[in-house]
Amino acid sequence: MPGPFDYSIWILCILLEASVVVCSLLRRSFRRYFTLNLYMMASLATGVGRYVVLARSGFTSDEYTYFYYYSDAILTICLYFALMGLYSFVFEELGAATYVRAFSMLLLAGTALFSYGVIHQSENRMLTLYVFELSQNLYFVGLVLTYLLWGAVLKMRETRARVIQFVLSLGVYFSLYAANYALDNIYPNLNYIWMHLPQLISTLLPIAWCYAFLRFSEDARLVPARLMVIPR
Amino acid sequence: MSRKLAVLFLAMLVLAGAMGLKTVIACHNGGAVMMANGAGLPPPIKK
Repeated sequence: MPGPFDYSIWILCILLEASVVVCSLLRRSFRRYFTLNLYMMASLATGVGRYVVLARSGFTSDEYTYFYYYSDAILTICLYFALMGLYSFVFEELGAATYVRAFSMLLLAGTALFSYGVIHQSENRMLTLYVFELSQNLYFVGLVLTYLLWGAVLKMRETRARVIQFVLSLGVYFSLYAANYALDNIYPNLNYIWMHLPQLISTLLPIAWCYAFLRFSEDARLVPARLMVIPR
Repeated sequence: MSRKLAVLFLAMLVLAGAMGLKTVIACHNGGAVMMANGAGLPPPIKK
């Protein structure tokens, strides 16, 4: 059962997600960064929805379990589109919007097919297993895509501070989750830590995005080469 | 045509890389699941 700590982080996360949408509205950047805001709004609605289902049905109920994992899959897809929105920003000057869209759709379709291939022999709860597998696989696709995007940012000398901040924060976010997953697999006896750590990690993305909206204007520039480690 | 094929090849390459990474990370699979996305405590997995 969630304790006071879990509820505190839960409420904090919901407030931070709402702050991101408010900050982007105040900075008149809502439409420009629509996919990022869509993810934050979906995450906000999911956080509230999960609380309602938990309060009504209980932590170990089927309703909460199904709602949690199905909403997680929807959020992962939203996060994937947010990432693809960032790809569009980085490659917009090359006029490669069509190719980015085709790439993202092909990759999403490939991941969906691959996930189906993994679970298609299951007889029970096939849809649930499929949603779960798709969510897991999209996470790793998102992780790889974020690192590739960071490479593109450095290679193409992207200087927009907000875009750099968004890409870096997504990289940290995905990497921390992947590290948590790996450590959970290696040290399953410390499950209590690996169970609660993702909640703390989930607050980092809205904090970073809030900071990006408040700290940097749309015209702010940064030299990404300064962020690289230069071998001596 | 070659650009379209390049896009397809890149998409498949990223997918293969991501699934390879997942396999490497989950090689000591202790039944863990990747839990993330937003507020809320993940429920226990039912076998």
